Amino acid sequence: MSQIEIVGLSKSYRGEGEGAAVDGLNLSVEAGEFVTLLGPSGCGKTTTLRLIAGYLVPDAGTITVAGRELSSPRRVVPPEERGMGMVFQNYAVWPHMTVFDNIAFGLKLRRLSKAQVRDRVAQVLELVNLSGLGNRYPSELSGGQQQRVALARSLVVEPAILLLDEPLSNLDAKLRERMRWELKQLQRRTGITFIYVTHDQAEALALSDRIAVVYAGRLQQYGTPREVYRRPANRIVADFMGSVNLVRGRVAERNGATGIVEASPLRLTLGLPEGVEVGEPVDLAIRPESIRLVLPGSDPDAIPGCIEEQSYLGNLCEYTVTVGAIRLRVQAGPDVDLAPGDETWVAVDAGACNLFPADDVTRL
Amino acid sequence: MRLKLEFWVETAALIALIVLIVLPLLSLLWGSVAADEGPTLGYFAHVFSARIYTQALLNSLVLGGWTALLSVAIGVPLAWAVARTDIPAAPFVKLTATLAYLSPPFLLAIAYVNLFSPRAGVINTFLRHMIPGHAPTFNIFSMPGLVLVTVPHTFPFVYFLTASALSSLDAGYEESAQILGAGKLRTAASVTLPLVAPAILSGALIGFVDAIALFGSQAIVGLPARIFTLPTRIYALFNYPPEYGPASALSLVFVALTVGALSLQRAYLARRSYITLSGKGSRPRRVALGGWRWPLFAFCAVIFLVAVVLPYGSLLAVSLSKSWGLDFWKNLTLAHYHFVLFEYDVTRRAITNSLILAAAAASFCVFLGAAIAWIDVRTRLWGRRVLDFVSLVPLGLPGIVIAAALIQFWLKIPVALYGTLTILFLAYAARYVPLGVRAADTALRQIDPILEESARILGASWGRTVWEISLPLMRSGLFAGWILIFVPAIQELSASILLFSSNSITLAVAVYNLYENGYIEPVAALALVNVAIIVAALALARRLGGESRFEGLG
Repeated sequence: MSQIEIVGLSKSYRGEGEGAAVDGLNLSVEAGEFVTLLGPSGCGKTTTLRLIAGYLVPDAGTITVAGRELSSPRRVVPPEERGMGMVFQNYAVWPHMTVFDNIAFGLKLRRLSKAQVRDRVAQVLELVNLSGLGNRYPSELSGGQQQRVALARSLVVEPAILLLDEPLSNLDAKLRERMRWELKQLQRRTGITFIYVTHDQAEALALSDRIAVVYAGRLQQYGTPREVYRRPANRIVADFMGSVNLVRGRVAERNGATGIVEASPLRLTLGLPEGVEVGEPVDLAIRPESIRLVLPGSDPDAIPGCIEEQSYLGNLCEYTVTVGAIRLRVQAGPDVDLAPGDETWVAVDAGACNLFPADDVTRL
Repeated sequence: MRLKLEFWVETAALIALIVLIVLPLLSLLWGSVAADEGPTLGYFAHVFSARIYTQALLNSLVLGGWTALLSVAIGVPLAWAVARTDIPAAPFVKLTATLAYLSPPFLLAIAYVNLFSPRAGVINTFLRHMIPGHAPTFNIFSMPGLVLVTVPHTFPFVYFLTASALSSLDAGYEESAQILGAGKLRTAASVTLPLVAPAILSGALIGFVDAIALFGSQAIVGLPARIFTLPTRIYALFNYPPEYGPASALSLVFVALTVGALSLQRAYLARRSYITLSGKGSRPRRVALGGWRWPLFAFCAVIFLVAVVLPYGSLLAVSLSKSWGLDFWKNLTLAHYHFVLFEYDVTRRAITNSLILAAAAASFCVFLGAAIAWIDVRTRLWGRRVLDFVSLVPLGLPGIVIAAALIQFWLKIPVALYGTLTILFLAYAARYVPLGVRAADTALRQIDPILEESARILGASWGRTVWEISLPLMRSGLFAGWILIFVPAIQELSASILLFSSNSITLAVAVYNLYENGYIEPVAALALVNVAIIVAALALARRLGGESRFEGLG
């Protein structure tokens, strides 16, 4: 039995205009897991989080935690009785209280003695590297420090589940990376179940045990970072998880589970999903890092192309290459040095490609 | 169980609004059509045909019209001078407007009677003495006199609104016109004026509404000249035997006039938004006045003289002299202050009552305002907009109309409230609820709901969250609202005059009654005590922080 079971969860705002809709969402989360809800803004991920927290009443579906039904259209256990924690994008640190009072708030509600409150606050301040700042007011802290106060405030009451709504998105890039690492450490050490909302796929990949990709209020895929990145369930997920070349092609041959897909001049042998027939149009999803630029004759499957654009990114070099009528983004090592107009040969790692039936799914 | 408290608070707010506003208004409506033989429109017909009523309506319109016009004539140049020119001593102009706004209107009327009453007025006497024969004296007991004592209270509305519009107007608008070839005058006429016109008109309309509702000055200056206006006529209708029918009908005509002007003002204010929208980083342009600065400064000084120096100076002089008219310097005394503060039980009671009433009404309105703001901002309850609207209705109700409505409602109820402090409290609460709601609404909207949500998820109940998070964060806004209510409540006369009894007499009523009985020296002392209380309250407010909130009182 999973710790959190979400079944058929739906919520629409009907013109109240304050959030994105959620439409028939199913999700189960194991105890101690780090699960990320990932999607573009307006996809319904924050709405889902607020439904889990009990701030919203679902239109349909249920949320069950540890076997107890907490939310249904008929009854919603209020947030204060759920024993969860939540960290907000804008920190939500109370400006009229000191750091100490902010963190002690939940402990006082639980009627701990003064000495206990002092000890626990000191402990958690150390945990988030804020020791000695207890007497400061939030206005005297940096953004990163405020976010750590918010985190400490949620952690100190030892919730079984911690909900985090884009907690790092207001921090600058460098701090974000450090906080990311700290969050992961914290989650490991405390064993608290984290439900994390973000629109940043790199953050999701780095942090999560499992990622739930949400788009247009629906769950698109739920799996480990590797699964979601390497085997996206559909074009939406493929497109959202990092950059990808989407190339329209056609199934030329089928031999059991594998087949040949043509997207002239590309001709790739790869596994075909069931139900994809010969002659059918398909979309090939090719990651830039699955394409190599090679010397002529070094790879029998390579085809000739021409460099159109080059941008040097330090740790790698990104090229736009035209092969026939197709334009491909390619990531090469930093040592590959080609200029626009140069001839090159292109080899595609067919095994790393994904293939989807071509339909009119809206592009992200 | 925990959701219950929120439910009870919201229900209590709803009931409070019904009892304070809806039911009294309904009984006023009923009173205007109820006759022994059934509903009738006879009272309205009477009110619109009998000369005593049409004349009162006409007088109110004339008074309001002239007051609004003069408010523009004074307020706009002052606003322009402060916001757009290098006039010397701009803070002094601001001070003039603030003081004029804060002065109790009846105080001004009494002071000007001392100066300009046809026979005994100090200045008139002086003029007759200096120019024997055909001295150019001024009779305060006249329509011009009434306008004179009203304008100082209303021009600050025009001043504050226009000044804020002018200073948020980016110089870019005017510079664009000039670079295209428009001269200074052309720019002012085709760019500046149209952009600030809504603010000016809006101020003039608020001034109009405010002016026609002032009972004190209209009774003190108007009645001796037999100039009846709507408030004084309604007041007269409650003399024994009270005529509820015509009083109710006339009250509703009064309300219609007020509401009409305020809706017009709202329409103008809505148009004003295009100025405030560009408020970010605005850079008003200042004009170097050159040789014109001294005439303009002289104009400001004259306003200061008329609105502040003359009334306060004369009141102070009167309050300090043994008997007004004797040789001033040989008859200085503090006896009148001693009399009103310590000896005379009526004035002592009045001061205590007013302090209690103003503090109670301000506290009540602020907390009721917070509850209503909560419903409006934080809930999705059906009908919350209606609630918000009802809470703003008293803005359209002159004080005397609120009193007329309350009298009729509570006379029908078998609870003996008439003549008690309670009914005065109800009147004050009803009158000032809109100020409480506005203050609380603004304060609550500035609080991100996630601050409350984080308390909830940590386990705090609704009550605990409101008590420890929302209210503390709203504190400075609510406090500003409290002061904004306390200041007019401590000088309230228009509603009190119909509702007081000898036990529940208030400060302003005591001033009025003493004046009616000819005690001019204690009147002056008591009026200045009233001002002292206001000044003390504002000083306290500044002390406790948030002073910037108190500058744009209009």
